[in-house]
Amino acid sequence: MGRRIAARFGQAIVVLWVVTTLAFVLIHAAPGDPFGFDAPNVTPAVRAQWRAQFGYDRPLPAQYGLWLRNLARGDFGYSTSLHEPVRAAIADALPRTLLLMGVAVVASFALGIALALFQVRHRGTRRGRWAGHVALFFYSLPDFWLALVLLLAFAFWWPVLPPGHPVNMVMHDYMAPLPALLDRLRHLVLPAATLTLLTTAGVARFQRNELLDVLPLDFVRTARAKGLDDRTVLRRHVLRNALIPTITLVGLALPAMLGGSVFVEKVFSWQGMGWLTVNAIGMRDYPLVLAGVMVGTVMVVAGSLVADLAYLVADPRLRVG
Amino acid sequence: MDVETVDWIDGPSAPRNRSTRVPPTYHSMRFSRLVACPLAILLAASCGRGELPASPAAAGPDGGTLVIASPGDADNLLPPLAVTIVSREVTDLVFDHLAEIGDDMNTFGDAGFTPRLARSWTWAPDSLSIVFHLDPRARWHDGQPVRANDVRFSVALYKNPKLASPIAAALANVDSATVLDSLDAVVWFHAREPESFFDIAYQLWVMPEHVYGAVPPEKLATSELARHPVGSGRFRFVSWQPGSRIEIEADTANYRGRAKLDRVIWAISPDNDASFAQVIGGQADLFESATPGQLKAISGHSNVRAFPWPTLQYGFLGLNFRDPKHHAQPNPVLHDVRVRRALSMALDRHAMLQNVFGGFGAIGYGPFPAGLATADTTLRIPHHDPGFAAALLDSAGWTAGPDGMRRRDGVPLAIRLIVPTSSAFRMRYAVLIQEALRKVGIRVDLDAEPFPAFFAKQTAGDFDAALITYSTDPNAGGAAQSWAASSMIPAGGNYLSYADPRFDALLDSATASFDPAAAKRYAVRAYQVIADDVPAVWLYDLTSLGILNARFHVTALRTDGWWAHLADWTIPTADRIDRDRIGLGAAKP
Repeated sequence: MGRRIAARFGQAIVVLWVVTTLAFVLIHAAPGDPFGFDAPNVTPAVRAQWRAQFGYDRPLPAQYGLWLRNLARGDFGYSTSLHEPVRAAIADALPRTLLLMGVAVVASFALGIALALFQVRHRGTRRGRWAGHVALFFYSLPDFWLALVLLLAFAFWWPVLPPGHPVNMVMHDYMAPLPALLDRLRHLVLPAATLTLLTTAGVARFQRNELLDVLPLDFVRTARAKGLDDRTVLRRHVLRNALIPTITLVGLALPAMLGGSVFVEKVFSWQGMGWLTVNAIGMRDYPLVLAGVMVGTVMVVAGSLVADLAYLVADPRLRVG
Repeated sequence: MDVETVDWIDGPSAPRNRSTRVPPTYHSMRFSRLVACPLAILLAASCGRGELPASPAAAGPDGGTLVIASPGDADNLLPPLAVTIVSREVTDLVFDHLAEIGDDMNTFGDAGFTPRLARSWTWAPDSLSIVFHLDPRARWHDGQPVRANDVRFSVALYKNPKLASPIAAALANVDSATVLDSLDAVVWFHAREPESFFDIAYQLWVMPEHVYGAVPPEKLATSELARHPVGSGRFRFVSWQPGSRIEIEADTANYRGRAKLDRVIWAISPDNDASFAQVIGGQADLFESATPGQLKAISGHSNVRAFPWPTLQYGFLGLNFRDPKHHAQPNPVLHDVRVRRALSMALDRHAMLQNVFGGFGAIGYGPFPAGLATADTTLRIPHHDPGFAAALLDSAGWTAGPDGMRRRDGVPLAIRLIVPTSSAFRMRYAVLIQEALRKVGIRVDLDAEPFPAFFAKQTAGDFDAALITYSTDPNAGGAAQSWAASSMIPAGGNYLSYADPRFDALLDSATASFDPAAAKRYAVRAYQVIADDVPAVWLYDLTSLGILNARFHVTALRTDGWWAHLADWTIPTADRIDRDRIGLGAAKP
């Protein structure tokens, strides 16, 4: 297994280099530059001076070489849009995204698996069909649309939840620990619910198919023949075996959710990695875009690695083979 | 000796209301009250809607928190490099000028200016220098006294090419500053000009040498100091979490008295709808970039009210005089003034204004915002007449084919219009313009791009027409930055490559005249020249639409920034909510 991990790690380095180099070329090929922002009183001459100060007037290969050299020293560069070192920007944003995604992954898999069990138990009935329709409905929704609807519903029409930001921007620092924790949870509800609803449907559909695949197998029939009731058979025998492919889905869901969180973070002013990267692209903040791409790539590679390892752990047949 | 001393010394018991004082005169100049009229009318119109009640004399003890849901963040918090609106807001509130421009935005001499860091000033007989007598009570927020060497340092810093400040050009007539003694600084000018005082007092925020002098100018923009400003204003900086929030709070020991509000927080919310929801939900108090649709939606919410504020920005359809692909050649379509005039006459500016801004828009009249002292709303602008526009195009050889579209020598009459997708107003205008011009046989190819791409094309002159918003200084010379031949790209902001020596000469005369009435006459003649040349279709005067929580009592709004008098905003005690009662210096439990 150690060799396998080492090989995957080597592959990850190559993938990271290819992806960031491609991103470097593409973001520089896009029209505009970090100093092309909307400021009517800043003349092109002043912008050219700023460009020179940051070295953006140099040939592209020279800029690439400089970026690689700084990267080797652990220097990700200076963000021209946030006006702070890129490392500091990532250090602020990444934990927020991980928190949001972590909550959403756990919630969506728990709900998705429960929904799948419900559908399988009630297959062929009206309740089962309705559950399928509801799952399909959420599965079909665009993420930004659902985020906006939830925002309007629970922060505007029926204002019971805060409309944005990870915490109350004014009062949080003045709260006692417990109210501060509750404040953080209240702010997490809408963005986490959006991501959860979107992902739950996919998990449920996948899990339901896996359950249906396992149901006709011999050991299930044997369990029933032993006199076990349907619920016990489903939970103890069918679900355990049908969960193995779903475990791998957890690893792959992380990068998928990173894409979905871009819009959700924007709508809910949740200053995480998605929000950071999209803003950086809009502002042509080259070092920040590249750092965002790197973090995203690492998450994809790590997610994929986690999925592989989880599969190895969960399915002894693979270890033997 | 023809030295005029203006003394505005305020003792501790001096009355706060300075409006009863006689404003200083600048030699024998007479200041026309005309300059104040456009602004006064605009402000009166705003207040007349009953949306902005004036602050009562006493609204209870000081205190309260203003939370601004801001769609954008600061770029940096150094006054000479502050570009975004949030940066300007923060630096304007944290730093002080030597003297503050009056609400009438007069830019001639020192009329209307009130003391800030300088409690008085003395003109030299030849008007080539001014001695600023600093207020001995003034302190930086780190407790150090404000001294004359800070003025000298600030002037040198702004003008240092290594800093590359966009404001440096506005200080071109300022030569340098020297120190007479610890409280007296002399500012020297290259030439005697009517706006010398405005240049130094309005454009320069004084910065502490002992703080900012420690970092080389070329490193300041990326230094920690660009994120942790130390100023002398009635608000002091507290914190900035990039992309998230900025906080300032009242400076309780300030020489001008503490701000009436305790603190101001900018909560960065890049999504327009989320910002709107935050204000409606009470999580934020002010949203500066509302759409007309959102203003309509607040009618059922008694906790908020409309907050329109005039600006020094104007929007127009700019017509490129150069060929987009071969810049040395004139534009094959738009070099003909008949075509430009036809374009202008084919557009119903008033109908478009109503369509885009609803009841909150103001029509544009020329290369100036209506709040400018030299503004003239009686210029001869080509009026809406599609029939005449068609006749003009016929006379220029562009005749309509069977499909209604015009051609000349087989070449279709088509223009490429660039527009930034970031501006909902401009996107809407683009569609309306496309449809209106189609009706007279002109094909408009819309080229909508995100702002960086739009700006790259605008800077490169890669367009036939562009929907542009200009922001100008409150003086007549501001128009030169965007329309004079000397400002043509890439040096300046004249993206349309417009050049008319008559316009340049008249604008020069306007900025050189010491008589405000004569200056206005020259400026108006310059505006008429440009109106006749039709380098643009003047679409709108930008009135920013905001939404404000109803518990705030606001003071007068100034055209160069609603926040100019923010330190005097109040919240009646009875209307205060939890965040208004935090108090200053409250420790985290």
